[in-house]
Amino acid sequence: MSTSSGDELHDQYKDLFTQDGVLLKTSVGRPVSDFNSIGMLCIVQNADGTKCIEWRPNDLITIDSDTQDQEWAVVNTVGRRQRTLSGNITSDYANLRARIIKIPLDDLKTFRITRNNQQMQFSTKPGVWQNTFYFQHGNAEIFVAYLKNHLKTAKTRHDRNTYMVVEPNDESQVLNKSFAELDIFTENTTDVVWNLVSNFKQRPYETTLEAFSKLTDIVYYGNEDVNGKRDVSEEVADLLTKSMSALEDTTSVTRSDEYEVISVKPTLPPRPCIPRGSPLSTEKWDALQDADGRIVEVEGVKQLIFRGGVAHSIRSTVWKYLLDYFPWKMTHAELKTLQKRKTEEYFSMKLQWRSVTEGQENRFSEYRDRKSLVEKDVNRTDRTHPFFAGDNNPHLAVLQDILMTYVMYNFDLGYVQGMSDILAPLLLLLGNEVDSFWCFVGFMEKIASNFDMDQAGMKHQLLQLQQLLMFASPELAQHLSQKDSGNMYFCFRWLLVWFKREFSHIDIMRLWEVLWTGLPCANFHLLICVAILDAEKEVIISRDYGFTEILKHVNDLSMTLDVDRVLSSAEGIYHQIVSAPHLTDQIRIVLGIEPLNLSMSTNSDPEPSTSTLPSTKPSQVELKEGNGNTIFGQEMDEDVVVYNGLRITIVTKTVWALLA
Amino acid sequence: MATNRTGAAQRPNGAPQTKVCQFKLVLLGESAVGKSSLVLRFVKGQFHEYQESTIGAAFLTQAIRFDDTTVKFEIWDTAGQERYHSLAPMYYRGAQSAIVVYDITNQDTFGRAKNWVKELQRQASPSIVIALAGNKSDLAAKRMVEFEEAQAYADENGLLFMETSAKTAMNVNDIFLAIANKLPKSEAGAAGAAGGGRRLADGEQPRPSQCCK
Repeated sequence: MSTSSGDELHDQYKDLFTQDGVLLKTSVGRPVSDFNSIGMLCIVQNADGTKCIEWRPNDLITIDSDTQDQEWAVVNTVGRRQRTLSGNITSDYANLRARIIKIPLDDLKTFRITRNNQQMQFSTKPGVWQNTFYFQHGNAEIFVAYLKNHLKTAKTRHDRNTYMVVEPNDESQVLNKSFAELDIFTENTTDVVWNLVSNFKQRPYETTLEAFSKLTDIVYYGNEDVNGKRDVSEEVADLLTKSMSALEDTTSVTRSDEYEVISVKPTLPPRPCIPRGSPLSTEKWDALQDADGRIVEVEGVKQLIFRGGVAHSIRSTVWKYLLDYFPWKMTHAELKTLQKRKTEEYFSMKLQWRSVTEGQENRFSEYRDRKSLVEKDVNRTDRTHPFFAGDNNPHLAVLQDILMTYVMYNFDLGYVQGMSDILAPLLLLLGNEVDSFWCFVGFMEKIASNFDMDQAGMKHQLLQLQQLLMFASPELAQHLSQKDSGNMYFCFRWLLVWFKREFSHIDIMRLWEVLWTGLPCANFHLLICVAILDAEKEVIISRDYGFTEILKHVNDLSMTLDVDRVLSSAEGIYHQIVSAPHLTDQIRIVLGIEPLNLSMSTNSDPEPSTSTLPSTKPSQVELKEGNGNTIFGQEMDEDVVVYNGLRITIVTKTVWALLA
Repeated sequence: MATNRTGAAQRPNGAPQTKVCQFKLVLLGESAVGKSSLVLRFVKGQFHEYQESTIGAAFLTQAIRFDDTTVKFEIWDTAGQERYHSLAPMYYRGAQSAIVVYDITNQDTFGRAKNWVKELQRQASPSIVIALAGNKSDLAAKRMVEFEEAQAYADENGLLFMETSAKTAMNVNDIFLAIANKLPKSEAGAAGAAGGGRRLADGEQPRPSQCCK
């Protein structure tokens, strides 16, 4: 059968499952004209027993059924092979055939389901989602269920909508797979177990066999009480923390022959106190541009902004760059053209909804619903601020217009509660409708996943926050998980609108511009959370706050926080974490630092964004920033501060000179 | 324990000991119907015309005193927008009572309230006391949901029902009191409760009062 001719081969094509009404959204290497065409997504068994996922455009099927081949017309979904066999392939037909997308299951690495389970993406190599499909009828659940009959999959650690395909020849994955097959936990099964397993691999001594035996108890416990109050991951987290602290107490009592214990008591180095700098001033900003207005030292600008923010007088200009509305390298003249074009684009989108008549609106519930959501929230956004106060405040109408135009700009996302909070400070500062819109678009690009229909983006961040806290402030993390708060949901508001509700307008401007620099690491906003929580550790633990008190206490911190102190301690915590000798790959990944054990990280976290990071020297205090590392790449250009024996790279000499 | 037929709170008149009962109450309903405003009126006596939207959840407490009992409400106020629906179970899980709020000037919010009631009946604790609040009764001129329609629905489903106004404070304390009355700290307490659903409460064994300390 291995040398079978084309005929035999095709005779043995078999559609195992087909799903109609599947839109091809994007596909790497395909012409754009192919996108948004409708078709059928199938699971196909090839003659040699291998299987693949196939998407066939509908027009192909139509052509097939238009032929006189009656047999084919009836079973049009499988009949394409007969066209191939008959040799009557017209060139049109060949073109259409070329549009079939095949993804061999052997090559499939990961797939994920997003957009309310209606969108499915496939990846055969880390870093790229090659194919994106949209299920117009119902959702992808049934397809996934069938697909799982032909694959061994495991959900990923961070995102339960992402599945990795388990490869049987990888030892750690086999282990993972076998746990996955147990299918005991209802959610995050493999994640919990995987964490345990990866801990075991990394710290064989600490993650003792005892922990495994206790895991068995948890497994049974989990079975008994399906609606049990405690999350299994919390149980395991507790367990690990306990087994680790037990180890600390019994330092070097036991010493295994097989493993040498290097660091028994994982403590963070002391927290450096790095002072905040002064804001980027007009003079410095001007000095950073060339004669035509290009920003020459982008990384330097970002460093300065990270250190001290932006002087209020030039905020409205600098924000346009930070929010990717203005490209750094554009001249004044080019920016003028850009602004003109963006203004036109804005007003044409605005016209789209402004020209919807009342009659149309009455028959267009999707639009009506979105409009009503926007109205409800605009009406109650920052109304205590003078800029938005009073009845019939004209700025409210501008908020409304921008958000409605954003609905047209991104109808799939639409309007979600929280967006008006994000927009209000932008409009307050920029004053201009068009500029505010494009800056809002830029901000939304950074935080769009906060507004996922299924909350996947938020859940992912809350999990990462929990991991960071467990590392940076284990005592507090342990307390929280003991109090049913290990899921960190009490930080939901912080993360959703980037602390907008926690700070005054002037402070939130400072915090946001610092965060937009993307320095000193990925997910620095999570370290802001860690910093705020760590400062409340004493109160939360000594008063033995429970689930409700924790939420109330955290909510009540609103408007009591000092933005500079928070930023300073978050940066201190960052340096503590990255210079800790026991820094784990899990934490490295969260902070956007290349993990040490590459293969492990690729297996456990196939999220493309994290597996394509530029590599950096682990001994250095890394800077991860997009096209980054230009500064630290020039070795002589870094400035190092030594603090309690801790070496910290803070800014480049260029920037240092500018600060002076 | 003395029966309090009017449902009004009274000073304990020098009663030597007061029993403290603690109940978890959750507010559910469509966005912008006035959930936070009802809580704020009840807990702090305040009203803000432009109360900001709730992100995540808010938690407040308020105690009501009866003759010899203090009922302490732990109130969970939730975000109303459909996008955040999936967070709700975290807050209504284990709740002994719920207020499902709609806006009497908006028929859609009433439909949404019915869905919340259904969800609670299906997923929340079986003995949960549910009250339906038709809020914004000060805007009766723009009324889109008839009192009778809502009352009939509440009766069918064994819910407490009142039209409320966080703005004027009308019926705000009353609806919380009605819930406190109906909660199983004593059988007699249910007598003063407004609306139907008493039968349901009578039919129930008062749970062993682990709520009372």
